[in-house]
Order: sequence, then structure tokens, then C-alpha cells
Amino acid sequence: MKNPIQLSPKDMINAYLLFFVVHGAQVGVGIQGFQRVIYQDARQDAWISVLLAGIASHIVTFCMIKTLEIYGSNDLYGIQQDIFGKWIGNLLNALYILYCFIAFFSILRNYIEVIQVWLFPSIGTWFLSATLLIIVIYAFTGGLRVIVGVSFFSIVLSLWIFPMLSFPLKYSVAESLLPILENDVRSILKGAHSMTFTIIGFEILNIIYPFVKDKKNVRKPVHLGLLFTTFIYLSVMMVSITYYSEGKLLKTIWATLTLFSFISFPFIERFEFVAVCFWMLIIIPNMCLYLWAAYRGAIRLVNIRGTTFVWLFSFFVFICTIIVQTRIQINAINTVFGHIAFYVIFVYPILLWILAILKKNFTSKKVHKNEQT
Amino acid sequence: MNKLRRYFIVLIPFAFLYGCIQTNILDKVGLTTLVGYDVGTEHKMATTAVIREVNPEFQSKVEVLTTENDTSKGNRMEANRKLSKKIMVGQMRVVLFGEDLAKDDLRYYIDTNLENASVNNGIYMAVVEGKTAPLLKYEYKNIEDIGQHIFRLIEQNVKQEYMISATLHQIAHDYYSVGKDLAMPIIKRDGELVELSGVALFKGGKMVSSLSARDSFYVRIVRDTFKVGLYEAVLEKEDVSSQILQKSTNKITIAFDAIHSKREMKLVNAATPEFDLDINIRSRVLEVYPDINLGDPKSVKILEKAIEKKMSKEIVRIIAHSQEVESDIFGFGEKYRSVVRHSNLTKDKWHEMYKNMKVNVKVKFVILRDGVFE
Repeated sequence: MKNPIQLSPKDMINAYLLFFVVHGAQVGVGIQGFQRVIYQDARQDAWISVLLAGIASHIVTFCMIKTLEIYGSNDLYGIQQDIFGKWIGNLLNALYILYCFIAFFSILRNYIEVIQVWLFPSIGTWFLSATLLIIVIYAFTGGLRVIVGVSFFSIVLSLWIFPMLSFPLKYSVAESLLPILENDVRSILKGAHSMTFTIIGFEILNIIYPFVKDKKNVRKPVHLGLLFTTFIYLSVMMVSITYYSEGKLLKTIWATLTLFSFISFPFIERFEFVAVCFWMLIIIPNMCLYLWAAYRGAIRLVNIRGTTFVWLFSFFVFICTIIVQTRIQINAINTVFGHIAFYVIFVYPILLWILAILKKNFTSKKVHKNEQT
Repeated sequence: MNKLRRYFIVLIPFAFLYGCIQTNILDKVGLTTLVGYDVGTEHKMATTAVIREVNPEFQSKVEVLTTENDTSKGNRMEANRKLSKKIMVGQMRVVLFGEDLAKDDLRYYIDTNLENASVNNGIYMAVVEGKTAPLLKYEYKNIEDIGQHIFRLIEQNVKQEYMISATLHQIAHDYYSVGKDLAMPIIKRDGELVELSGVALFKGGKMVSSLSARDSFYVRIVRDTFKVGLYEAVLEKEDVSSQILQKSTNKITIAFDAIHSKREMKLVNAATPEFDLDINIRSRVLEVYPDINLGDPKSVKILEKAIEKKMSKEIVRIIAHSQEVESDIFGFGEKYRSVVRHSNLTKDKWHEMYKNMKVNVKVKFVILRDGVFE
């Protein structure tokens, strides 16, 4: 077990904050329009797909925590170096950084697209991208504790959006959910698979684990965070299925935002405009956490200062947001990223856990033998 | 601390730069409050827009413009060329369709309005008897802003549940669901006033028939649950048993309000298909002529029975009419889809089945109370 991370207590966070970190990292741009993608496969049983994806996230997290517990105080990068050796381990680390990069990019680009469609069609991509990046850089330079704080506030301050879902309920028809389980298992599972892009984010646990003060108490907040996310996704999905008719849901690109477009108050007529702007608060912890995860990996590979890394990273993201302009390109990236993420998040951690156990047994036997001889 | 300040200095200009974005100042825009679509003569689409221009000094002015082009955005550009102010659609409240257009196909118009993010999903839609342009261009003596007027007219009637509600969301919902067809109010000019004159029935995107405004009550109670509203009915001699009917008259007129209705649809036979439609209504009687002693439980019972009979007769008539024109505005198909597994229902398939559908209507009417004077 090599390179464990040594930290001073002042850099560490309390375990209960993981609730906010996990939930904050999960909810982001995906929730704005995930209904359509899942509905394509699972139809009125789409909510079952959401539930299945939620359960899968719990299982994977269970494996992740098991793996991390074997190593005591180490993150994914260290574990990979330990299991696969220096060269393959570092290659995998580089790939994981790339994964974080794509995730970061895809969140940013999707959000910019939403702003351009709903609010300011004439505003330049570069401008929005630069502004958001500077905010993220600003938060990043504050260190992990600031990022965790951002996640906390992002959730607490955006909780009020959730009750807004009750407005569309007025036009909901419960019959749209029936008949339950009409679609075969395959299409429901396919729908659950399409949830990947929306539900990922909890893999941040792999990186943040060494920074937790009381590692014994990690389980509860993490699983609660996942549960809360699943609950929110499930309710959004249920409301969407009942509010829209089948044809309309398939044609609505950002179903959650369109849900809000119905709401109007005497003092604000178009609520979704507020929601779109407010969404920035929801995606900032998302981006900060991915950026931070990439940084943790980068310092294992090369000797780089935080500021240099963050500017370099942002620069590349910035270039990419300028290159990717059309909706078709964005959608293509989302789909490809969703497929990659499925393997990275839902398959790989289980594999890693098995390998870690094997390796542990192997080494302990060897140590045992050495002691005997 | 110094480092943080540096980032702050970079952030602040960005915050201010957002002020340089394209602005829409109220004095400088024309607010489209209502748009009417007609079939054009040369081009595809004739649009009549009611545009309100706000002036800070004077009273605001209302402009009614008709333009003809191939797309609605083309029409907007042409209207722009004719006005001193930029035209915006964010305040649009009502979309009207000419009768000819409605009889052709509305799909394109529903989609364009859904696509545009600045159009609210809560705007009302209605069909105009004849063409929209003359209705909007007529110089009404007492109506200053025709756009606002029509909006208020529809809104208050919908809120009090006198008329079926047809917002963009509901229309798109029905249009895109396999087992339900859309319905819209019909409006027309009546002298110096604008009147809601009926309900338009659609088959897919095509208007196929219409019902009178009085029938909209029955459409409402079959379509959904009903909470307030007012209704009057004439009970003919054959509906009422002779016990309470006085000799001199041969009909009873009755009006009731504060109606609570609940409908329940049940599929009893999937092959035909056959439905049981149970409607429960509780309400308050406002007027009865000739006078009937509502203190007497017996005569109340008889009156209730008579109303039930009358109502189910009307409902059966309306459903039969909608079946004739193959327009399922009540959503029987949705029920069918939600109950029958693997039905693979499509709209065309349902329209075929709808023609031969059987409905057993059962109305239960309860008089809760009458007024303060018996």
C-alpha cells in the first residue's frame, strides 16, 4: 500500500458534508432535459428506469467505499498506481483526468446552450464560457473547503425550486403512468442506461475520500445524498410523464424547464427565466468538483502548481467550447460521454474492487510467507 | 487575501459587461398581445397582429397589422418594417385561427409556438368564425385594446369554468397524445361585442365540427372534473314525472351553480370498445320555474331524477356527435391506452375504433341546497 495521502486536519472536511458534495456533484445540467432520452426507451415506465439507475448508484457506491476502505487514506489515483503499477496506473490516471475534463466541458457547454436558447440568443459562447470559467477558477483557488462550501450553499439555496414542481401537477393526468410495466425489461434497462449522463457525479467520492476527517461515518451521508438525488429525479420524472403527453415529451428538449414555463407569479411572469439563471448556482459545484478531481490527478503525474493547472485546464475547456457550436455536436458529445461514463462509473469501480481484494489477499499471503521463512 | 482580490477585479468587469446585452426597453418595443392566423391569398400565411405600443407621455396605442408571408417570422419582419418599434412576442396572450385555416391543419402553428422559447405555454388559443382579420380590425365602440379584451374574455370564462380551457400546453398535450383530440373555444363578433360562441372539435390537427356554447358545459363535465360554474337546463315534460309538474306548464326551467362534478371512466369491454361513464354532480339550485317545494324530500328526489335523465340525454347526444366526426375530445382513447396492455394504439387506429365505441352514461345528480328563500 504505497503513497497514502497525508493531510493536516485543517484541510479536511467533516463526513456529513459528503451529503452535499455527492448530491451537488450529481444534480446539474442533466436534470434539465433527461426525461426525453429515457422516455424514448422506457415510455411510461421511465420512472422505473430512474429508480433502477438510483439503485445501481447505491450499489456502485458501496463498492467504491469498500475499495477505499482497503486502502485507508488514498484516492483513486493512488489505488490505480498501486494495483496496476506505475506505467499502466499512470495511464489510467491520465484517462481519468481526461474523463473529468470531458465531464466539465459537457456541463459547461450544455448550460451555455440553455442560456442561449432561453435567454440570450445573441450572446457569444466565448463570453458566457469565459465568465463561468472565471467564477469556477475563483472558487477553485479557494481550495477544497471553499468548493465544499459552494456545494453546500448551492443545495440549500436551490431547494426552493423543488416545490415549484407542484404547479404543473394541476395539469397532470395520473393515467399517463398506466399501464405499469407494459414495456419489456430490456427497454427499461436501456432507459436506466440512458440515465448515466444525469446520475453521475458521485464518483467524486473516489477522490475526496482521503480528505474526510471521520472516515468511519462516510457511508451514511453518501447514501443519503444518493437517495435524495434519486428522489428528486424520480419526482421530476413522474411529474413530467403525467404533465406531458407521450408525443409532446418526446419533442420537448428541456422538459424540466418547459415544466417551469407554465408557472407565473404576479411579480414574475416567466418563471423559467429565473430558473435558467438560477441553474448557474447548481452547476458551479459540479464544475468545481470535476476541476478539483482533475487537479488531484494531475499532481500525481507531473509537478504542477494549482494556479498553473487551473488556467491551463480552463484554457483548453475554453477552446473546446468555442469549437463545439451546434446542437448536433453537443448532443453527439453528450451521447458519447454518456456511454463512456457508464463504463467508467458503473462497471469499472466494481472491477477495481475485485482487483483490490485479490491484490490484498495476494500481498498479505506474501507477507505472511515472508514472516514464516 | 490579495489573491482573492485579484480574481474579484477580473470578475467585476464581467458582471458589468452583462449590462451591454441587447435590451428590450418598454418604450421602444411593440408588444404583440394577440396574433390571428388566416389562410393567405398569395402566400401561405396571413397574420393579423394586435400590437400595443407603450408611450411614456401619451396613452398607449394599439396597432392592428395584417401581413402575408410564408412563415410567421417573415410576418413578424414585415410588421417590423411598418412600425417604429421593435416587435416582441413575449407578452402574447392569445392566438386565434381563422375557420378555414383550422379546417386545414393546425399542426404547423402549434409547433412554431412551442418551439419559440419566448412564447409562454399558457397562452390561449381559439378559433374564429370566418376570418380573424375582420374581427380584429373592426372598430369597436367600447373596446380600446382588442387584444387585451379577447384575452380577458377568454380568461374569465375559463376561470369560472363556463368555457373549456385551451392553453397552448393543453392543446399540444392533446394533439400529441394518441387517445385524445383537442378542442378550442370559438369566438365571433356580435355587433359591438366579441362573443364566445361555441366549441370547435378537432380530428388530429383539423377542425371537423363544432358544438354550441351551451354544450360546452357538458363537454367540460365529461372531459374533466368541474368545480364552479353555472348552468341552466330546460326539463321537458317527458323527463319529469307528473307528480311535481303543475298542470298549467309543460316544462321546468332550472338553473344551478357551485357545481362539483366528478367523472369516472371505466373500460368494460376492450373489444368493442365499451365504456362506463359515471358522472357525479353535486350542486346548488338557484332558480326553478315553476316553483317546486324543495323542502319536500320526495319532490327533490324527483327533480334530481329528472335532471339526471336530461343530462345523460344531452351527454349521449354530444358523445354521439363527436363519434360521428371521429373527434375524441373527451379522452376515451387515453383511458383505453392506459388499461389495455400492448395496445400499440395510434391516433388513426383509435379514430377507427372510436366510431364504433359504446358508452353507457350514468349521471348521478345531488341537490345540496338552494338559496336563502324557499
